[in-house]
Amino acid sequence: MITIKNEYLPEKMKPIRFRMETDDTYTIVFSKRTMSHAGQFYMLSVDGVGESPISVASGFGNPLTFSIKAVGSVTKYIMDHRDSAIGLRGPYGNTWPWKGADHIVAIAGGIGIPPIKALIEDMESEGNLSDLTVLYGARSPKDIVYKNEIEAWKKELDFRITVDNGDPSWKGKVGVVTTLIPGVERFKNGSAFVIGPPIMMKFSVQELIKHGFSPENIYLSLERRMECGIGVCGHCNIGQWYVCESGPIFRYSDVMNEPEVFL
Amino acid sequence: MIYELTEEDMERLLQKIAEEYDVFGSKEELGEVVFSKISSFSEVSEKKSSYSPKDFLIKRSENILEIPRAEKKAVIGVKSCDLRGFYLMDLQILNKDPFYTVRRQNTLFINFVCTEMCPGGFCTSFGGPVLDDYDIQVLHIGQSYFVEADPRYERYLAGFRPASDQDVFVKHSKEFNRKYGKIELNGIEKRMKWSSKLWTEFANYCISCGACNYSCPTCYCIDVYDDETGRKKEWDSCILEGFTKTAAGNVRPDLSDRLRQRFYHKFKYYKLSKGEYLCTGCNRCVDDCPVDIDIKEVITHDYDKE
Repeated sequence: MITIKNEYLPEKMKPIRFRMETDDTYTIVFSKRTMSHAGQFYMLSVDGVGESPISVASGFGNPLTFSIKAVGSVTKYIMDHRDSAIGLRGPYGNTWPWKGADHIVAIAGGIGIPPIKALIEDMESEGNLSDLTVLYGARSPKDIVYKNEIEAWKKELDFRITVDNGDPSWKGKVGVVTTLIPGVERFKNGSAFVIGPPIMMKFSVQELIKHGFSPENIYLSLERRMECGIGVCGHCNIGQWYVCESGPIFRYSDVMNEPEVFL
Repeated sequence: MIYELTEEDMERLLQKIAEEYDVFGSKEELGEVVFSKISSFSEVSEKKSSYSPKDFLIKRSENILEIPRAEKKAVIGVKSCDLRGFYLMDLQILNKDPFYTVRRQNTLFINFVCTEMCPGGFCTSFGGPVLDDYDIQVLHIGQSYFVEADPRYERYLAGFRPASDQDVFVKHSKEFNRKYGKIELNGIEKRMKWSSKLWTEFANYCISCGACNYSCPTCYCIDVYDDETGRKKEWDSCILEGFTKTAAGNVRPDLSDRLRQRFYHKFKYYKLSKGEYLCTGCNRCVDDCPVDIDIKEVITHDYDKE
């Protein structure tokens, strides 16, 4: 009988910290250090429930962190059973190509913000935060993830935030995240990183191009049904590429002619 | 080196291989040709098996939290088209999926080259039926079995009689191709159209059963899911609605979207990413389709006329 190593076998760990970010979004932190770079993901699993691809929310070397919106069976189970061990395998996928770029405009919609937190921490560790502008759009003030971190980020970098729908206590901007794009036109020779719901990414790209960004300098982090994370299960293709293998981050000019790039 | 073996020699070859491997062969059981354990070459049927022997490499369903392990198995009587499918799957999943990899590395396939085209078959479009890549390849003509082996398995042929005609496979390939011709692929990866009416036409009668995927010797997609007995991977089908469903929506909500994906994967995406079409012309998907959708129509369709 011949045996080989099993890539599907997760390492099991309990989070050391659990924090609710919003009504349906939570952050879990492990004692293990992050060995991935911003943009990569892990497969998180619960025995008997399933596996789910989740982006890393922490910078290289920091305690491994994920911020998760409870929408499916695995993500809900983890929220409801805070003491259970979670299976982890990864990291998989590629990274935000921030090194060497002129200036980065990172645009996050909704639960697209965690990989941008990882980006901030990666860039911060190399003293590059002055090269970063973040545009973050949340549905409403109560849906804002990382409320505490955002206060700190606003002091360290150009961090701009808007909500689709305000409330009486909200003093900030109201409007979808694309309404912030005209304000970053002066960075049009830099790179734009876009992550969020498909419709938000579609309109962000249109708006970026309208304001002078080139399709070669726009990068999208795409979401597909990833069941294996290692290029085997065949579910996550966009054209000739598997998102888990060649992505999740794609240069827009490489995929712009694929009809399935946005849902 | 090509060897010329008699039927008795084939029996000796099989016994030699059986010293190191569990031997399976295509054989007739209850009117179907299936792969099961054999102890003698006389049990082998040269008819096309009812199903491809894909499950020697990808189990229909298995627990993926267990240790990937394999026994050394030899499978005799595989058709060239099915075997070629495995070489195509290798390009994407070998050395990635541990279960596939350990079985692929420990399974010896002995393929039989067809001497007649099977009904509906179009292997000639993909270079068949004589393969360039094989473990041990057999061509049965009259009383003779012409056998060639990859260098890894050449030792099993030591002692048998070298064939006087060392071009027998090349000649057979030419003769077979001349006799049956081929459907020209004609740059299908560039000809297919996203908006072709073919996809909606197929969708009008496709019943989403997935038989085309399960019968295909190149379809490698799997579903990974948990149940009370563990984490499983199971043969999946890109024709099924849930295949691309996510929290953000479904990228292929319509059956026509999913049918197009199947043919784009086979004739465009794989060609672009791996340099090969993901099809061997075995015709199994056509044979098994309950509503007679014919993949050959995708190749022969005149997209320019639409």
